[in-house]
Formats: sequence, structure tokens, C-alpha cells
Amino acid sequence: MKVTIKGYTGVAVWKWVANDDTCGICRMPFDSCCNDCKYPGDDCPLVWGQCSHCFHMHCIMKWVNGNQKSNQSCPMCRQAWKIKEK
Amino acid sequence: MMSTRTSEQAAKKLGIMMSSRSSSNGQAAKRLIIRNLKVAPRNEEDNFLSLWKHIDEAVRAIHESRPVSMSLELLYQSVENICAEKKSSMLYSALRQLCEEHIRREVPKLTLEMNDQIEYLKLLNRHWEDHCSHMVMICQIFLPLDRGYVLNNPLILSIWDLGLDLFKNYIIINKTVQTRCISGLLTLIDSERSGELIDRSLVKSLLTMLYKLQLYQPIFETEFIKSSEKLYSHEGESLLQTFEIPEYLKHVEKRLNEENNRLLHYLHPSTRQPLINCVERNLIGEHVNTILQKGFDNLMDDKRLDDLKLLYNLLSRFLNGVEQLKNFYSQYIKKRGRDIVINPEKDNTMIQELLDFKEKLDLISECWNNNEKFTHALKDSFEHFINQRSNKPAELIAKYIDTKLRAGNKEATEEELDKILDKIMVLFRFIHGKDVFEAFYKKDLAKRLLVGKSASVDAEKSMLSKLKQECGGVFTLKLEGMFKDMELSKDVMSAFEQQLQIKTSLSIYVNVLTLTHWPSYTASNIILPPEMSQLQEKFTEFYKKKYSGRNLQWQPSLGHCLVKGHISPGNNKEFQLSLYQTLVLLLYNAKDDLSYEEIFESTKIEENELKRTLQSLACGKVPILTKSSKGVDVHSEDIFKFNKSFTHKLYRIRINQVQLKETQEENQSTNEKVFQDRQYQVDAAIVRIMKMRKSLPHNLLVTEVVGQLKFSIKPADIKKRIESLIERDYLARDEQNPNQYNYLA
Repeated sequence: MKVTIKGYTGVAVWKWVANDDTCGICRMPFDSCCNDCKYPGDDCPLVWGQCSHCFHMHCIMKWVNGNQKSNQSCPMCRQAWKIKEK
Repeated sequence: MMSTRTSEQAAKKLGIMMSSRSSSNGQAAKRLIIRNLKVAPRNEEDNFLSLWKHIDEAVRAIHESRPVSMSLELLYQSVENICAEKKSSMLYSALRQLCEEHIRREVPKLTLEMNDQIEYLKLLNRHWEDHCSHMVMICQIFLPLDRGYVLNNPLILSIWDLGLDLFKNYIIINKTVQTRCISGLLTLIDSERSGELIDRSLVKSLLTMLYKLQLYQPIFETEFIKSSEKLYSHEGESLLQTFEIPEYLKHVEKRLNEENNRLLHYLHPSTRQPLINCVERNLIGEHVNTILQKGFDNLMDDKRLDDLKLLYNLLSRFLNGVEQLKNFYSQYIKKRGRDIVINPEKDNTMIQELLDFKEKLDLISECWNNNEKFTHALKDSFEHFINQRSNKPAELIAKYIDTKLRAGNKEATEEELDKILDKIMVLFRFIHGKDVFEAFYKKDLAKRLLVGKSASVDAEKSMLSKLKQECGGVFTLKLEGMFKDMELSKDVMSAFEQQLQIKTSLSIYVNVLTLTHWPSYTASNIILPPEMSQLQEKFTEFYKKKYSGRNLQWQPSLGHCLVKGHISPGNNKEFQLSLYQTLVLLLYNAKDDLSYEEIFESTKIEENELKRTLQSLACGKVPILTKSSKGVDVHSEDIFKFNKSFTHKLYRIRINQVQLKETQEENQSTNEKVFQDRQYQVDAAIVRIMKMRKSLPHNLLVTEVVGQLKFSIKPADIKKRIESLIERDYLARDEQNPNQYNYLA
């Protein structure tokens, strides 16, 4: 008996690599999207700050743009909000 | 010639002054003398009598139906003359007397003993007709009397009416005549009702007579209705016992037609209402319940459309008839529907039966004359019984759709499939547990998509749009997400292949899923052969590079492979296998016998899964392995041997996983998942109720919650939710009474 595999159809589930389960702003799980979006994934990406906290991009943008300029800090640790480039 | 004396007398009578003819002096001036018109003196009495003599004789002749000797013209003139002499009242009373005498003479002829009722009726009718024709003649002769005298005296009957009046008062009012006439008529009608042919014109003529004499209503109609009442109340009761319902309904219809015919042919139209009413009430109205109880279910079962239509029409004449029919209709649907739904042994055929049942009911709906109440009753009853068994119908509907949408289902063309889906959507509409449906549908859809078993993307999409239409976008959001993932995976794969460049002997395709859209799968770690795990690694790396911030978790339980097997020289086959099956078979490249333990060690497939896998390979329809022990169950001490003599008529073979046990577990977990989603609804209901009531004892709260929720829930589960809400400070137990909850604002 000799068996050889010709094709393999695998299934994988993707997940965000985040340090928390839920977004600190909208309280939705990272695996689903922010309140304004329909589908998680590219439509509603995550961003990581240099402080290592992470949020839905839409959520943190609202936070940063909605506040006065002086208040552009991470809502979790109050350090200045800077996006960590990967 | 008249003498002067008489003329003077006459003049005096007339009051005209006459001057004396001569004067004494002889020189009388000439005077013009006006003399009164000389009228021949007449003996008035004699004159009347002589005229009357002719008339009297003529009338007698008419009464005796003899030819009249004098010309009618002369008679007419005589009457005219008499009237001119102001002797009208005398003439009238003489005529009256004459007629009265005649009628009196007639009476004994009609009170003679006579056994044959019909003959008697004929006799009476003859008398009536004669009387009428006599009166017509008399009227014509006495026309001046009618015109000149009767018209000016409102209290006096016209000659025609006089005739009727006399006939009425002397003949019909006579007890013997009356009873004989009425009973004769009723016997005739009765015999017609029992199917004999009768002389309708005779009946009609006599009834017209009664009507003209204004006796129809008082002496005939009341008796007639009374006898009909008796007949039909008896008939209703006895026939209901002996007849089947359809037969009975036909009979009632026949009866109604007959009575209508009777109305058309001889009864007076004013009888219509009491008569038809009597028939309907006695044959239907009194027995609505019995009829429905005895026959309705059978009529429905046998789809007797005509009979049902008839039943509806008959019952619609009664105030509550349709209402009662509707109630029986709903009860029928609930009863039969419940039979279909409630029995777990019939689960396999439940949906098909429901579809057939619905189709049948739709067909029957034609009978209800588009009555909206029945449409509602159908909907309500369907909704009621289909939710009698919680969750299962929803689950089975999802599965039914799965079998229809799965590949290899060649029984229907696209259009037919679409029709089937439309029908199933109707059932779906009745289901309360739409979330249960969604969970199972999602699970099946995932299987179809991942294993590539879906019959057609178009059909899937059309089903999706139907669901969207029915339940809104939120309901299908995740399902749409699944399709989106499939599309995305295609793009990712083509990008990966470009980057890979070198063709490996082993091709890989990966479906990358978004966690929240798909049913949750348990991850497991298994040992993959190095070539496969390398390939998997490569893909993971590629994916991470393409989508930063993401990680991939592999789901071996969903993978499948295309495998080429050289069983013996010249016996090559291709297999469609699950990943687990592949891993097991790969072990046989090195050895022909393997124990269960060995297989487990080298693959690390989770125990239950492995047992199932081995079962499918050794005990299924395609036994590529042989098991050392007998029976279907796999034991840990079994040894599996490669089946060298394996043959199969096909070149490419699909070996299905054994499904049974899995389904039950899966089933439970799906149901649990559904309940988890429902918890929020329970919470919301509890809070809503408490917010309104402020304070409630436990039992009342539980019953109210059950009342508000559309799905069934165990009280123990509600209790858990209440406790959770207490923990979260929505509610608090009352300090005095621990069974009482207070709402915390």
C-alpha cells in the first residue's frame, strides 16, 4: 500500500494578536468589529499604540479626533497616543 | 199628451210662477208664457222593477253558467238607466242579495263528504274559477254602478271586491271547506316533498285564491310553516344519524333548491323568508356542531373541496356558522399539525409532511370564499402547532434546506429548487425559534462551503436573500460574512500561489475564516506529516505578512484531502478523504497492521474523533481497512489491517465520516449556543417586567417571563438569570421575604 496526498484543503481561523479580548472603547470583542462596521477584518482593522494598548482603528480615531488636541492620549493609560508601526 | 192641469201641477212642483192667462179688462197685454218641459210621468218603481227583471235573469243565468238571453249591451244600458234614476243603492243591494243567495246555494256543494282530497281541491278550484269568471261578467255589466256609485262611496265595496268578500265569507270561512282546503294543500306539498309529481297549477291557483282573499297569510302560511318545521326538524335529526356528512350536505342543498323551486312555482314570494329560514334552521342551524364534529375532519382529510365549499355556503347563512366552522378549521390544523410535529419518530419526514400539509390546506383555502378570517386562522393555527415542540422544527427545516442545497441533489432543476425554497420559507415564517434555525443553518452552510458540497452558489445566494427579506439584514449578516470569507480566501490563495512559484507535488488550498461568522470549532493539536505541516507553515507565514496583527489557527477537523492510493499493482484509486482519514491511511505506507494505540500515538487525533474515523474506514461502505474484532464499535485493543483485496467499481471514491454520534453532540452544543444567545433576551424580559412592577414574588416573575418570551425555557434557567441579575445589581431580594424581588433603579 502506498498512499500519496495530491491535494490538501485546509481550514484556518484568523484572529487578531491583541493583548485584550475586547476593545477598551466600544467594549466589543476584537474578533468582531466596532459598532459602525459590519464585518471584522480589513473593513475594521485594529491599531496598536506605542503604549502597547490596542483598539479598533475607528474607535481610537474617534477618540483622538473628538478630543481637544492636548488630550491625544491613550484612553487606557493616558500616555500620548502614537501608533506603533510594525 | 199631457193636460194643462197636469202641466200646471208639474210646474207648481217645479216652483215656477205661472201668470194667469187672462185679465178681466180683456185688454190684456200679450205675454210670453214659458211652459215647462213636459216630462212623461213614470211609475218609477215599475220602471226599476221592469229593468231589474232582465238584469236579475241575466245575473242568474251567469251564475248558472247559462248563456244570457239578452244582449249585454242592453243590460249595460239598463244598469246605466237605473243609475241615472238615482236608484244605484237599490240596484247595489239587489245585486248583493242575488250574489249572496247564489253563494249560499253553493256552500252545501262544497261541504259534501268527499274522500279524495285532490278531487276536492279540484272542485274547490273549479268553483273559484267559475266564481271569478261570473264576477268578471257581472262587473262588466254593472260597470256604471261601479263607476258612478261605488267610487263615490268609499265605504262600499266594489263589485269585484264584493264577489271576493262573499266568496270568502260564505265559502272559505266555512270550517269544513277551510280545513279540507288547507289540509289538502299541505298533503299535496308533502307528497311533492317526498318526491311525487303533483299538479302545481292547481296548488298555484288555490294559493292565489287564498292570497286574493287575503287569507294566504293567516290560514295557509302559518300552517304551512308549521308543517315544514315539523318535517324538517324530524328530517334533520333522523338523517344526521343515518347519512354521512357529505351526503347530508348534498341533501340539504337539494332541499333548499326544491323549496326555492316551490317558491318560484306556486308559493307567494312573501313566504320565502320564513320558509327558507325554517329549512336552514332545522337542517343546519340546529346541528352545526354535530355536523362539524361528525364530518369536518373527514372532509378535510379527504380534500372534498366541493363539499367543503357547500358546507361553507350553508353555514355562512347563520350568524355564528362561519365562526364555528373557522374554529373547527383551526382545531383541525392544530390537531393534524401536532400529530406531524410532536412525534420524534417521524422527525425524518416531518418537514416533507408539513409541506404537503400546507399545500393541502392552501388548496382547501379556495373553499372559504376568500374569507380573511380563515387565512388568519390558518396562519395562527400553523404558528401554534409548529411551535408546540420547541426548537426541533426549526432545526429540521434548516436540515431540510441543507439536503436540498447540497451537491448531488439532482432531483430538482434550479427553478424547482427555488420553488421548494419558497415553500419552505413559508414554514420558516411560522417558527418562533428563528435563532435555532439560524444556528443550524449556519452549521450546515459552513459544512457545505468548506467541504465544497454546495450544489450551486446561485441557489445559496437566493436562499440567503430570501432569509434577508424575511428577517432583515442583521439576521443574515453573519451568513453573508461566511460567503465573503470564501471569496477572500480565493484571493488570498491566488496571491499565495504566485508567491510560491515552485509547483509542489502537494497542492494546498486554505479557507481562512473570520471567527465570529462561523460556528465555533474546537481546536485540536494533531501530528501532521512533515510535508503537510511545512506547507501549512509556509501559508501561515505568508498570511501573517499579508495581514499584520493577525494570527492563524488551523482547524484539522474541517480539512480534507484528495489522496491517491496504490492498493495493489494495477489497482489504483483516488480517494476523497477527511484530513483525519488521510492521516490514518498515511500510516499504512510503512506497515500493514496497526493497533489502535499505535495509530493514536502517531496522529494524536482526539479519541472520539479517531474512533469515528476508524469506523468510517473499516466498517463503512468502503472497507479499506479490516478490524480485528467484530461489530461496529471501535475498541482500544483493536488491530486494523490494510485490506489488500479492496475493490470498488468507481475510480474516485468519497469516504464519508460516520456522522451519527457527532450529530447528537453537535446538536446539543448548537442548542446550547442558541440558549446562550437567548440569555440576553431573558435578561431583558426580566428587567422589563421588574421595571414595570417594581416588586414581584419569584413565581409570578417566572410566569410573566415565560409569557413574554417566544421560546420555551426551563424555570431553572430563568432562576439562573435572575441570580445573575441580582449579582449585577439590577434586582435585589426583599429583606423580609427572600422570595420577593425588588427592582433597583
